Amino acid sequence: MKTDPDPDLKTDVEESSPDSISGERAIILHTQRLSTEDGPGIRTTVFFKGCPLHCAWCHNPESISSKRQVHWMEVHCIGCGICLKTCPSGCLQNKEGVIIRDRSLCQACGKCVAACPAGAQEMLGRVVGLEELLSELLKDKVYYDKSGGGVTLSGGEPLMQPKFAANLLRKLKENGVSTAVDTCGLCSTASLELVLPYTDLILYDLKEIDPERHREYTGQDNRRILDNLLFLRDYLAAHPAGTALWIRTPLIPGATANRQTVERVGKFIRDNLNGVVQRWELCAFNNLCRDKYRRLDVEWKYAVTPLLSQPELDELEQIAKQTGLNPDIISATGATRVENV
Amino acid sequence: MTTQSCNTPRYSIKEPKNLSPRIKWLRDYYFQGNKRPWNNEFVGFSTGTPWDIQYQEGNYYIVPETYTFFPTFTGAFQQVSHKVELPEGFWVWSLPERQAWFVKEVMVYYLPHEVLPHDLIAGGRFNVQTSKCFTEKEAKRYGGEVYGKKGARAAELWFHNHGYGNAGATSGHLIPDYPRILNEGWKSIHEELNRKLASLSKREYDGEKGEQIRAMLVAATMARDVAFEYSEECTRLASEETDSERKKELLKMADMLRRVPWEPAGSFWEALQSLWITHMLVMSEENYPGPGVSFGRADQYLYPFWKKSLVEDIDREFGKEILKCFWIHCNYAYDAMIRTGGNQGITAGFGQLITLSGMGKGGVDLSNDLTYAMLDVIDDLTPLLEPKPNVRLHRNSPDKLMDRVVDMISSSQGSPFLLNFDERSIAGMLREARMANAGKLINADNVFDYAPVGCLENTMCGNDRSGTVDINLNLLKAVEHTLTGGYDLIPWTDPLTGKQEQLKLWGAATGDATKFGNWDEFWNAYVKQTQAIIKRAAELYDWTDRIRAEYFRTPYLSCLVRGCIDKAKDVNRGGAELNFVTLEAVTFANTVDSMLAVKSLVYDDKDCTMQELVQALKDNWKGHEVLQARATNKTPKYGRDDDKADEMGKKVMELWTDESWKYKTSATGKQFRPGMLSWNYWVGDGYVLPASPDGRPKGRFLSNAICPCAGADTNGPTANVNSVGKVLGGKDPAGKGDWEGYMNLLPNGASHTMTFNPSLLRDEEHRTKFKAFLRSYTENGGSALQINMIDADILRDAQKNPEDYRHLLVRVTGYNAYFTAIGRELQNEIIARESHRM
Repeated sequence: MKTDPDPDLKTDVEESSPDSISGERAIILHTQRLSTEDGPGIRTTVFFKGCPLHCAWCHNPESISSKRQVHWMEVHCIGCGICLKTCPSGCLQNKEGVIIRDRSLCQACGKCVAACPAGAQEMLGRVVGLEELLSELLKDKVYYDKSGGGVTLSGGEPLMQPKFAANLLRKLKENGVSTAVDTCGLCSTASLELVLPYTDLILYDLKEIDPERHREYTGQDNRRILDNLLFLRDYLAAHPAGTALWIRTPLIPGATANRQTVERVGKFIRDNLNGVVQRWELCAFNNLCRDKYRRLDVEWKYAVTPLLSQPELDELEQIAKQTGLNPDIISATGATRVENV
Repeated sequence: MTTQSCNTPRYSIKEPKNLSPRIKWLRDYYFQGNKRPWNNEFVGFSTGTPWDIQYQEGNYYIVPETYTFFPTFTGAFQQVSHKVELPEGFWVWSLPERQAWFVKEVMVYYLPHEVLPHDLIAGGRFNVQTSKCFTEKEAKRYGGEVYGKKGARAAELWFHNHGYGNAGATSGHLIPDYPRILNEGWKSIHEELNRKLASLSKREYDGEKGEQIRAMLVAATMARDVAFEYSEECTRLASEETDSERKKELLKMADMLRRVPWEPAGSFWEALQSLWITHMLVMSEENYPGPGVSFGRADQYLYPFWKKSLVEDIDREFGKEILKCFWIHCNYAYDAMIRTGGNQGITAGFGQLITLSGMGKGGVDLSNDLTYAMLDVIDDLTPLLEPKPNVRLHRNSPDKLMDRVVDMISSSQGSPFLLNFDERSIAGMLREARMANAGKLINADNVFDYAPVGCLENTMCGNDRSGTVDINLNLLKAVEHTLTGGYDLIPWTDPLTGKQEQLKLWGAATGDATKFGNWDEFWNAYVKQTQAIIKRAAELYDWTDRIRAEYFRTPYLSCLVRGCIDKAKDVNRGGAELNFVTLEAVTFANTVDSMLAVKSLVYDDKDCTMQELVQALKDNWKGHEVLQARATNKTPKYGRDDDKADEMGKKVMELWTDESWKYKTSATGKQFRPGMLSWNYWVGDGYVLPASPDGRPKGRFLSNAICPCAGADTNGPTANVNSVGKVLGGKDPAGKGDWEGYMNLLPNGASHTMTFNPSLLRDEEHRTKFKAFLRSYTENGGSALQINMIDADILRDAQKNPEDYRHLLVRVTGYNAYFTAIGRELQNEIIARESHRM
């Protein structure tokens, strides 16, 4: 990941909301090549930075803010202290070998990132130009073609930067690349309309049907999300050969990993989207992000939550399969707890 | 405490399966190792003269770890050798005739001929160290060449100590013309030799040609006579056998062994028996077990026998049973030094490669029923080291084969075979044809019949000796010399006396690097230094090649290599139709990354001066940790699909490969060709070569073959693969490559190892994705891929509890080795290697 600051773009990113960034540039976290978990085949996933939701369990906490952020990777640090001397805002402090960042002072200017010889100070957030990103994505075209894969825009929320997303998807289609958009659904319908003509697959997150609970877990009401989903249904009906739809539901212990939530989501799909949804994935809670929270100086509610056990995951899968949907479209994925043996 | 898993059970060790009681007994017996009452340990044989020698150390110059033992080996083999009664007139025969007679005498009359219980293939002991049959005068002359301060051994030692690598004319590493033996029998070779002898003029008959053909005539009956001894043994065993089924088998074997390998094989069983005896004796004659004496496209040339026998005399299961016996026999090569074992994977230093599948003319796939039967055999017997299977993939490989391949990878700890990629490999072979003007022997009509030897080294079959392990050169030495103007960065210190050597100008006189004004000057100096190290390697090799040509003849092997009868010339003297020696480059990625680092640190970003950099390297980065970290983390690297970095890789590749085509051996006329083998030099030589500008300190392992430096490939496997394809020459968009659009600067091919997380093969959907990954490798990648499927936790555990992991196989790029049997350094490296997540 290239993290060198680009002075020309810095103001653009920092002073504008991502939505207003022209469709030629975007702020992303990184691209993940040979991704096998974000749609069919072998894919490259582009993680956009910035998300309108703030899910308590989010496993990409660095993708929530649409601003650049800097974090310190202790494991890489050689203790040279160069970052302390370079920082213009005096936000860094060495406390017994641990670099403490005062985030109220840090401007994410990237000077420490550029100066750090060990790559321990790392920039989260990279401003990319359309053509630059496109040529990066096309490098794996052979893998997409041989596997029925392509490019997935994920995040964060790619539709918070809808013009760029639409431009990128269009260019990808022009180059014969299959496309997918992984969205949380909280965006303007216009944004959806912008990308749909160039999107082969929508991966739509449906976390909870109950609006109160949704607000409690994600900080936002789900009305727009459900409306957009219905809009999508109608759009797909009007464009039958166009876009496919997968639904994804995270299974979070103490939140969504329960019979009621799974049944509610399943019934919503059954009643509103039956025959439209090709696949419904239940994604098990994942705790590999624990250190990311620590590095961003954010408390994480789920820091000590154990993974689901395999029987729990199996049971939820069974519940989903009994909601009246074609059971073949339902699958549970992700890590499960293994008792120490 | 809980741990993560990705819907996969914790990785389990591959177990053999579907073994009949017979095969289970034979396999278990083999794994008893030195507790077995019977083994195939080296046995020495002597002419009984005080000046006799058995040990041919030139074979071992490419194994620097053994240098210190040479005097011991040489002396020990002589001491424990059995004396062979010599016929009258022996000492007036020519050297090749003496050597041919001696090996045959040992194999037919001295070495016992034993058949293990239940075994369906005869041919037990074959590891011998035979007398070189020198007269006193020859021994003295040979000694003068090899020993002493000005001998070849000292030159080899110097070359290695100073970080260049190693070079030595080594045995094996070719594919004999086995199909001819199966189809025509040894008798046809014998007849051809007689015809050749009769065609020689009086002068030729009395000269070198006559000596050679007469020696070959002696050798050409060795397999027949050895088979006869085994036939007698089978008859004897049958007479004592009480089990009627076994008795029938033994009588059948006795009957077969009276015919093959002298006569053409009439059935699949006969073909395998014929193949084994013929193959085993190649190893006997060369006194070196399994050094890459490879079988070639066995599923192709054995298929007619398989097809016929399945109709006429055996069922498919019994066919596989015979194959399994054959497979186990190949493993007895390892008995050679059964009591000493080895370090750093030396015990895995055998590579009897067997090639499966691959394309034929017009790109059609040639997989057949025997291909799949052999894959079954491998799957059932794994883990087992020999023969090393190599599956050739190409654009038209059928899904059935791809499914089988991916299933086997997912159920083993790594793939139980190496994968070879036809399009890129063929491009390399055709490039070789062009560069060496060998279009008559390698062309669009026959290039499909190439096959790899040893690990992954591509050659033609039956007529090609390409000397594929003979020279291993550390390209990084040229970077060191560029920085110093041709001197060692750190003077060599004799470990015994502690005496430091005076610095001398060993490289090219390119001047003081601190005075270079720009990158171009640095690059130009690097070009000269690369030329200088290749010249030095070529000259050293020339010496060992000349010694081998003069003193070590292999008339038996020469019968099996097309060209030798025609030219009446030993294969060691350049008799093969295709004569190459391969310059195998080591430290490619370190070299590329070092060049990138110098360019970035000193010239582009001006993070330091040349003086500071050179001082940091002299100090092994001590006191220069910030610069070292910058070199490691903030400079471009090969292996990330970064076009600019990979362009440097290609420039480095073009430079050294172009240079290598400029040489030929003086005594044998062998054309040099480039390749990237991988043995474990990159581990040991990490202690020899000083710190390098890419941030590597002295003592850290080097990069392996064509692989990016460990940990450098931060953009994942597809980026890694794309980089590899690019530095080999990439593809020509207009389709004008060496083969269609494909370019390949390395006809030998290049070893590429990738380690994957087992979770990526966890279900059918992911296995399908992996299949697509392999099909994409065909388009974008290199010529040979080894897949490891191991996680670091297991390996650490295996390091701690070796007794629990005795069967744990890991691949050391191109070879497999038992993890617990390799050195700790190598273990650590495997653990450190980035495990890609898919």
